[in-house]
Amino acid sequence: MEPILSIRGLEKSFGDLKVLKGIDLDVQRGEVVCIIGASGSGKSTLLRCLNLLEEPESGQILFNGEDLTDIDTDLDGLRQKIGMVFQSFNLFNNKNVLDNCTLAPMSVRRIPRQQAEETAIRHLEAVGLKDFIRADSRRLSGGQKQRVAIARALCMEPEIMLFDEPTSALDPEIVGEVLDVMRNLARQGMTMVVVTHEMAFAREVSDRIVFMDQGVILEQGTPAEVFGNPKEARTREFLSRYLEDKAL
Amino acid sequence: MNTFLSILRSLPGDLIRWCGGKLTAAARFAAADHPYVYLSGCALILTDLLVYVFSDEYGFFLSCTPLVMAAFALCAVFALAALAALVSKRRLKRRYRSQSRFCTPAARRAARYGSYAVWAVTALVLADRIHVLCRLIRSVMAMDTNPDPFFQAMVYMFYNSRSLFLTGLWTTLRLAFFGTIFGFILAIGLVFLRIQTPTSRDRDHIKFVKILCSRFAALYATVIRGTPMMLQAFIIYYVGFGLFTDHTELTITEINSIWSFFIAGLTTVSLNSAAYLSEVLRGGVESIDAGQTEAARSLGMSAWQAMMKVVFPQALKNAIPAIGNEMIINIKDSSVLNCIGVVELMYAATSVAGIYYKNLPNYVSAALIYLIMTCIISAFLNALSRRLSLSTYRGIPSSN
Repeated sequence: MEPILSIRGLEKSFGDLKVLKGIDLDVQRGEVVCIIGASGSGKSTLLRCLNLLEEPESGQILFNGEDLTDIDTDLDGLRQKIGMVFQSFNLFNNKNVLDNCTLAPMSVRRIPRQQAEETAIRHLEAVGLKDFIRADSRRLSGGQKQRVAIARALCMEPEIMLFDEPTSALDPEIVGEVLDVMRNLARQGMTMVVVTHEMAFAREVSDRIVFMDQGVILEQGTPAEVFGNPKEARTREFLSRYLEDKAL
Repeated sequence: MNTFLSILRSLPGDLIRWCGGKLTAAARFAAADHPYVYLSGCALILTDLLVYVFSDEYGFFLSCTPLVMAAFALCAVFALAALAALVSKRRLKRRYRSQSRFCTPAARRAARYGSYAVWAVTALVLADRIHVLCRLIRSVMAMDTNPDPFFQAMVYMFYNSRSLFLTGLWTTLRLAFFGTIFGFILAIGLVFLRIQTPTSRDRDHIKFVKILCSRFAALYATVIRGTPMMLQAFIIYYVGFGLFTDHTELTITEINSIWSFFIAGLTTVSLNSAAYLSEVLRGGVESIDAGQTEAARSLGMSAWQAMMKVVFPQALKNAIPAIGNEMIINIKDSSVLNCIGVVELMYAATSVAGIYYKNLPNYVSAALIYLIMTCIISAFLNALSRRLSLSTYRGIPSSN
């Protein structure tokens, strides 16, 4: 089967600093891929390249066979199919919860308001925020904001969801509510690429773990392989630091 | 309409709270033990100052000698007692409250009643001064020649040239209001030119156009901000005049009726405000977190949609106080337009000064009118931004 997302030889620098040094990665339809690695290893940059929020210098990103880096592709059209959830939520501050979810479907996909609102309410209900549809998005808690952000992305009916450290800005006690939503999403068969530091979550939910170090993919495999029997010394080192903090 | 009314209703309270905040800090030491005495001390100072206004005129109260003597004797006793208490407080410091004779309940009661009396005297003196003021204004209004004393001359000239002053005031308000509105509309256009940034996905000719737009807007802001508005007024007036004489067959009178001083002045204020407001709006757009744009783009919205539906509405809301400030600045800065003959308030004051060969009183009148206008409008704008929960700028903004 043709992979939904196929990355070939991806390179990216910020000034003199080379952040991605040739990344090759395939994501199959329905697969949940977690990218782990130390801070500064390039995993967030890789994720942001996947919908071209960062523009890579070289390499290809094929989404359903279409190259995103090609200047002639309809980037806005492809981005509709690639949902993204940010570490800092990035809810639209000038809109309430419902309008956050209906803005893009109405303005981009030209869906009538009523239909867009029905879809939005359905997704907000699924993330447990039915009572907050008229709330000011700035007044929600971090966990609520992130769940709205997930619902907002789902309203575009994406084929793949990218999560950029979705729980890193949250208080430890509310990380769970966001992870629950993501777990449900994975169970429904959504294709997901998740950059995370939540090792227990990665181990439980993902089909494949990708370990990144200094701009390259050092090791990948099933959770059992990577967590149970890491091949690379650096992977072992990285994981042991987490094992000291939390029992996996 | 309801919002407008409720803003009007909350204005007096807001003003009092504002004044209160400034005074409290200074008052704390003196007022700690005898608030009544402190307040009436202020009243005494006020009374003293009031007596010196029109010091050679007496109204219903000050012309009654025995009453005045009694009242002033009372004030003197009160002031001396208060002074003694203050000295005692300085000397005893912490022990003042427990040990001083000024802190017994009887002394406190006496101080309270004394302060009521002092306030009564102040109120009487104030009423007396208002009485004198009304009498003066009435008599000045009936005069045929310009009186000599400063205040009387000011009132006389203002009263007899009131239509000119009012025309000037009305023109100033129109210039400031419409100048700000037109300037704002132009500024929105300018800021969209200004924020164009070429991306690597743009075709070469698009990149070129974007750079051109952005450079043009930056150049415009630099030129306007780097030259005096008075000079701009001259240039705009003569450029407009030149265009009409070169390209039409109109006579000078006809040109002046179309390209009037007022229109040229309004153009100047608008173009000027456009430059400043476009910088304000640009700052507003840049202050919006990049994550807002990223979120919009990640949902498939175009750069234009992200700007129009997400970033710009937020930037605009943050810019509302600055737009109000621009209006206040325009009220003051439109005064330079008297140089091209726009009959605004400054022009009116200068004209009246020329008619009577008396300068200072008329300029003081104009200053008072400007001050009243700017104070009212800035109080109104502060109330408005507080209602919209925006950051407020205290006081009156300075010129561009």
